[in-house]
Amino acid sequence: MIGDVRTLVRKVAERFKGRFYGRTFRCPVCHLELAMVDADGNRLMVCPLCGVVLDVEEIYGHAVPVVLEVELFRPQPKMRLHPLATHAPIGLYPFAVLGVGLLLAASVLAPVVPALAPLLARAPVVATATLVMLVLSVGLSSLTLASGLWDWNRRYRRRPYWQIRLKIAFSVLFLVLGGTAIALHASGAVFSASTGLVDLASPLAVVLAVAELAVLALGMVVIATLGHVGGTLVFGR
Amino acid sequence: MMDFSLSHEQQEQVEKARLFTKEWIAPKAVEYDRTGEFPLDICREAFKQGLMNPHVPAEYGGTPHTVLDHCLVLEELATGCSGIATAIDANGLSQYPVILAGTDDQKRRFLAPMTETLKFSAYAVTEPEAGSDVSRVKTTATRVGNDYALNGIKWWITNGSVADWYFVLARADEKPTAFIVPADTPGIIRGPKEINLGQHASNTVRVTFEDVKVSEKNRLGEEGDGFQIAMKTFDHTRPGVASGANGIAKAALNIALSYAKRRRTFDKKLISNQGISFKLAEMMTRLDAARYLTYKAAWMFDRGEDNAREAAEAKWFAADVAMQSAIECAQVLGGYGFTSEMPAEKLIRDAKIYQIYEGATEIQKMIIVGKLMRIKEVH
Repeated sequence: MIGDVRTLVRKVAERFKGRFYGRTFRCPVCHLELAMVDADGNRLMVCPLCGVVLDVEEIYGHAVPVVLEVELFRPQPKMRLHPLATHAPIGLYPFAVLGVGLLLAASVLAPVVPALAPLLARAPVVATATLVMLVLSVGLSSLTLASGLWDWNRRYRRRPYWQIRLKIAFSVLFLVLGGTAIALHASGAVFSASTGLVDLASPLAVVLAVAELAVLALGMVVIATLGHVGGTLVFGR
Repeated sequence: MMDFSLSHEQQEQVEKARLFTKEWIAPKAVEYDRTGEFPLDICREAFKQGLMNPHVPAEYGGTPHTVLDHCLVLEELATGCSGIATAIDANGLSQYPVILAGTDDQKRRFLAPMTETLKFSAYAVTEPEAGSDVSRVKTTATRVGNDYALNGIKWWITNGSVADWYFVLARADEKPTAFIVPADTPGIIRGPKEINLGQHASNTVRVTFEDVKVSEKNRLGEEGDGFQIAMKTFDHTRPGVASGANGIAKAALNIALSYAKRRRTFDKKLISNQGISFKLAEMMTRLDAARYLTYKAAWMFDRGEDNAREAAEAKWFAADVAMQSAIECAQVLGGYGFTSEMPAEKLIRDAKIYQIYEGATEIQKMIIVGKLMRIKEVH
């Protein structure tokens, strides 16, 4: 079962990668997956992870990279702000999603399980805490994006790596999705300010609750992909 | 008059196969090699582009190629990945016995459907105790009324778990007899995929037959014809196997050449070192020699001549050249040739099987000597 899920995820990821990166190959030194299109007009590229200068040529469809040089003394970020800023949103966001999930589950179960009543009194607190976590997560991710752009400029010399382009695009997408979720949550149209639960009698509230959950789930996929791609840029395969 | 040039049609076929290899096979070669999955999507595309089942006669819906044309195409496919090329081409090995000895009804029932939709078939002859010595097969075919009941184990069956039917060699009343067995017949048990050294994309499995009922209508030829049919098939298919090996040798040469032209050592290009450049010259020469043997064996078959010796020569020599070229490619690449991120190590793993399947190198030499024993002198 777990094996099947893994295979499915791998196939979806491969298809996505194929569409996004095009033809790829692995750096023969650090094994990072690199996109052929990132090579310049002279077929040269610098591996963002290990810094080797590669001359990559396609022979009968096989990518044959040749190591020509090693780029030493790469500028290191002084404050390492990007890695620090990265982990706060990644750490907070799943708890925000969990909070929304709990509130939705409580809203559905409240009418049929009276024993939950003492716990439901805490729902407004959970709703507020969820909002705080969402705001912190999305707010800090803008710092992550800014520090990432700074690092790309300095350490990677603004070279066109598809991993970094993907990270920038996904960071913006995450800000949009996170902002939408915050707006929905803070508006009070989904979770009532007094009860902290969804008013199931209101079709609009139910639709908006589903929408918020969908937006948060999509955001989860986006932030997980960001973390994965970022991790490979630091640690390789 | 001798003519070594390709015709316009052959050139077109080669170009088509080369494009298919670059677009479909090579980019996915590493993925299929690592996962060991069967390359169904590539086979589907190959079928769509008419690169599968080139042996099926026109009256059964095929667009038949000569063996030489087929060799040219197969060499290109194997340059991308010989495992995937094997998956695409393995149908031929089981189709040819039907073409050779099948009745019109058998050809309509088993060959024609393979030209309509993507289907696979498998040549189920090898057994755990009968590999090179095919005459030792122990699978039995016992008469039950007008049917036969097959019992036995077939091993290392290429395309075994995706096949729609099998060509099976079994003993009927102690006589080697050939059958076509639909894969959905009760009693057929397909084993798990074997984890082989190379050609991971090729599906190789054990197939067990337990009281498998086969109609007399599905017997190829008469009882006792099986060995002849099974062996005669190789005259047709061995040039193709040699072409697959040539594809590996070509890939190895191209990769080594590209690397040697670009890599710098001792302040000059790697290719400027005589020790490396001579390797490339030797690889090229051996590849040419292997190709000429292969093309001659195929050409003789197409002319209806006995090509058993030439096919054995081509298969043996091309397999050795592929192995040697793959190893030399890794040597030219140095340490990078030893890593799994570069194509050389896969070529070494894939090349080895060419010295073993469809008759090991030693069997090919026995065939050649067998032919020599029948002649007074070589002209």
